[in-house]
Amino acid sequence: MQKTMSIWFFAGVMFLLYGILITGAGLWEIAHPPANPPALYNLHAPIWWGAMMLAAGLFYTLKFRPR
Amino acid sequence: MSLASTLAAALALFQIVPGKPQLAHLAVIDVLVIVIYFATVIYIGFHLKGATNTSEEFFMAGREMTAWIAGLSFVSANLGALELMGWAGSAYQYGILAMHWYWVGAIPAMLFLGLVMMPFYYVSKTHSVPGYLKLRFGESSRVLAAISFATEMILMSGVNMFSMAVVMKVVLGWNITFSIFVSSLAVAAYVALGGLRSAIYNEVLQFCLIWGGALLVPILGLVEAGGFHGLQQKIIANLGNDNYLHLWKTTAHFTDNPMGIHWTSILFGLGFVVSFGYWTTDFLVVQRVLSAHNLRAAQMAPVIGSFFKMAVPFIVILPGLLGLVVLKNPDGSLMHLVGQNQLSAANPHSYNEVLPLMLVRYFGPGLLGLGVTALLAGFMSGMAGNVSAFSTVWTYDLYRPHIRKNAPDAHYVAVGRWATILGVLVSICAAYLVMHAAGIMDYVQALFSLFLAPLLGVILLGMFWNRATAAGGFWGLLSGIVTSAGLFVWVHEVGQKALTIVAFSPHAKPMAENMSRALWAFAACVLVCVAVSMVTKPKPVAELNGLAYSATTLPKAEPVPLYKNQWFWAGIVAVLFVAGNIIFW
Repeated sequence: MQKTMSIWFFAGVMFLLYGILITGAGLWEIAHPPANPPALYNLHAPIWWGAMMLAAGLFYTLKFRPR
Repeated sequence: MSLASTLAAALALFQIVPGKPQLAHLAVIDVLVIVIYFATVIYIGFHLKGATNTSEEFFMAGREMTAWIAGLSFVSANLGALELMGWAGSAYQYGILAMHWYWVGAIPAMLFLGLVMMPFYYVSKTHSVPGYLKLRFGESSRVLAAISFATEMILMSGVNMFSMAVVMKVVLGWNITFSIFVSSLAVAAYVALGGLRSAIYNEVLQFCLIWGGALLVPILGLVEAGGFHGLQQKIIANLGNDNYLHLWKTTAHFTDNPMGIHWTSILFGLGFVVSFGYWTTDFLVVQRVLSAHNLRAAQMAPVIGSFFKMAVPFIVILPGLLGLVVLKNPDGSLMHLVGQNQLSAANPHSYNEVLPLMLVRYFGPGLLGLGVTALLAGFMSGMAGNVSAFSTVWTYDLYRPHIRKNAPDAHYVAVGRWATILGVLVSICAAYLVMHAAGIMDYVQALFSLFLAPLLGVILLGMFWNRATAAGGFWGLLSGIVTSAGLFVWVHEVGQKALTIVAFSPHAKPMAENMSRALWAFAACVLVCVAVSMVTKPKPVAELNGLAYSATTLPKAEPVPLYKNQWFWAGIVAVLFVAGNIIFW
């Protein structure tokens, strides 16, 4: 039977990609503030939420990467 | 074609429905987030195909899942987007009472499944719940349960599909047919390729996405509302009373709470019959636990699932409650959400839109894509659960015993793959049937959901009463189903007079009626099963080993450290459950 990659690796890669995209979008928003910002825009949620996803994704990607 | 123009084309395809303005507009980055999700789930299907060659691997994921994966998949199969949005809407409409469906309506049953019932399912080596009925009560009970269950799965999958398409239309303006075909083809691809293993992998992934996409809403909502205390104060100020903030205090009378429900219906109807019926006998969820690699993991999986189930109100109920105080109209006044049949120019949004409205309130580009992906993931995990369970029951309980008995194993794997595809195609037809006859949805949900109440009756009697006979099991199951269907039709045809008898009060609302009807169906099933069993011949006790409680010698469990013991963790869940009910009494 073919050896399969861990589900946690897939979850890690997905969180890593999403973390990069969302943090990037948050940083872009600081440089180019939107005309109609969402509520609590001043908290810059995409930056810290995206960074947390990126960190979690990086950890799981490395820990469960295929060897 | 460049990536940018491909994305722009996809964007144009997504936003093609004119009419009522959608709640949200996706940016290119949001579409990219969604495309990554679809690409990943389909890749997982192709990746796992090579590890899915035997029927045990295709239908039971090789019985090699860890407790964590089986547990997360177990709870994720139930965490559909319909459920997320429906219960967020119910929290807006009924307040914290909606939390009963996550706590008393789930936790005791999940612990009972893990600690008491799972040994029988696991030791008997059954592939399905109808399969257990075959071992305990014989072929007729299995066929009745398998046909009912397979029909229910297909219809529920169709209802799920249609609901998803409607939500995507309302929220994003997506074309209904486009939503149905894209999501169902993705589900068909990854389940047909990788079987239950693929469905479980994707459910775990979807579980992570749902939390990653939805958890930020209550966090930001609580910041805006001034913390939980601020939320409570604002709800009391807006509504003039604290009825929305109590789990039990207002349930002494039908008329004292917004749901029109009595505590006996919550405790016995929801907390026992409906909850135990669903969590311990619905093969959709039980199948996930049966994939565990040993008995201890199979017992631990529902306990792990119960921790997460208890936490789900944080991403479902809390956003609904927050919607009562933070959602505003463009002029700054408080927004009032209403029922579907009360929509107007002044109140254009329904209760069910509370979660998307909260997403749109706080999420900009990128995060919005993540939130929408979480909703899509929820819908697809529900659909995948339905079709993988359908495929297993069709192949193991109907095709193999009645159509082709002794075929090679590879033949049954092929049948399973085709059953998955066929299941999705029939589900698409069911979705269009529901679309063109909206009233059917009520009947489908009410009748088939109550199939579980009589099923619970026969399984409990089968497991805990050696005297229950094959005839008793079959006639009990059949009479429970007929009672449930009959009461539903009676109340809908006759109205208030019948409701007063069925639900014990003329003030009962639909939710209370459902709970009471489940109790009647369960009672009819148990009474008939006991009566018929008393006049028919039971199986010898020796033949009940592995099937009934007092006739089974369970394998001796190896001693493990406390932190790996399922009873220890179940005790912690039980303490948290009781504490939570007292805190929100």
